[in-house]
Amino acid sequence: MNAGLPVLSRSVRSKPSVPVRPWIRLQRTPFERPKATVEWAELIGRVAAHGDRDAFRLLFEHFAPRVKGLLMKIGTDRETAEEIAQNTLLAVWRKAAQFDPSSGGAAAWIFTIARNLRIDAARRAMRQARADQPDAVDDADDIVESPEMLMTRSEDVSRVAAALLRLSDEQSKVVRMSFIEERPHAEIAEVLGIPLGTVKSRIRLAMNRLRDLLDEPT
Amino acid sequence: MTISHHPPDELIADFATGRLDEANHLVVAVHLTQCPACRRFAGAMEHLAGAALEASEPVSMRADAFEAVLAKLDQPQPAPRAEVSSPSTLPDEDLPEILRRCRFGKQRRVAPGLKMQPIILPSASQSRAFLLWSAPGARMLQHSHSGTELTCVLKGSFSHEAGRYGPGDFDFGDGEVDHQPVVGPEEPCLCVVAMTGDLELHGLLGRMISPFVRL
Ligand SMILES: [Zn+2]
Repeated sequence: MNAGLPVLSRSVRSKPSVPVRPWIRLQRTPFERPKATVEWAELIGRVAAHGDRDAFRLLFEHFAPRVKGLLMKIGTDRETAEEIAQNTLLAVWRKAAQFDPSSGGAAAWIFTIARNLRIDAARRAMRQARADQPDAVDDADDIVESPEMLMTRSEDVSRVAAALLRLSDEQSKVVRMSFIEERPHAEIAEVLGIPLGTVKSRIRLAMNRLRDLLDEPT
Repeated sequence: MTISHHPPDELIADFATGRLDEANHLVVAVHLTQCPACRRFAGAMEHLAGAALEASEPVSMRADAFEAVLAKLDQPQPAPRAEVSSPSTLPDEDLPEILRRCRFGKQRRVAPGLKMQPIILPSASQSRAFLLWSAPGARMLQHSHSGTELTCVLKGSFSHEAGRYGPGDFDFGDGEVDHQPVVGPEEPCLCVVAMTGDLELHGLLGRMISPFVRL
């Protein structure tokens, strides 16, 4: 699938993706951990309801190092990753009231915040690199989301969550590895212990099933 | 609105994980505002990215990180800067909200029956975005790309070998395609386009006018 769209990775992206080094992990999916999911949502709710700093500390201690780790893995330098991770949690504090606990996706929500901050940081760096286009608006504490980011939380999150729950564990894993973590098929084959030929067909099947599930009315 | 042409899955995954260049990001975003199915798909990718975040290897924060953030909790937030252009300065009164927030360059004619207006994206690194109007019934020049061309139809329609593209439809063109779109007869066609690389025009007319066409 990826091989079918060589141009996509060559020129659509903002910058070439950094080769991912092999690592063994991801033995669990968050969908197997409903308790943890509820817990994070609860903590965010406590932050929203009464500015609970103990709850915030727990969120910080869990998510900040993971945001930093994920960013560094996809090629962000340590310094920038630290800054984005801090700002992500700061935004969690400020936007806690906007989080919808029924979405069941505290980690997804926090991911989207980190993603938007990373995009903003990359855009700021790009503008600064262009000395002829100074942009006085930006400063380090500016965590305003770019306008076109505001719509990405889909209005039917529960439908999305329901569809993902119905995807088999191995299907969601293969989609995540291929599309989110961008691991080469050979590596996915190795990690999952399946033949290389099976990886491609499993990804295709999983994507088709996901599209179907998402299209089903609830 | 029935949408029948969607961005490739990879493109939506790249959108959801924030890997697209600014112009490409914008055009995919425009499609998503029109297409509930792709919006759900992008939402699913965000959920999976959340799973990747949960599973990612933690890297220790700086020792003073938590205190540094605590110190900022009570500071006033920066005001959102979402200035929407006033309607009189917008290139088209029916633009979707997301495009109404954009800043536009100067509109210009590129060929008979074809005009464009650049969208100012200060940090697009490789791609550029613009609005493109073409006259009803116009036969666009046969062209191919050295890079990619992402198109989302806003008004009217066009057709080429892969089918008919109406409002909301998304066309992904890469270096392989060499197509000649024909604009539907019903009304002018308005598209938002993100392009990387150069456009190559074919045919005698194309060779004659290509020095003057600069999209
Ligand atoms: Zn779509």
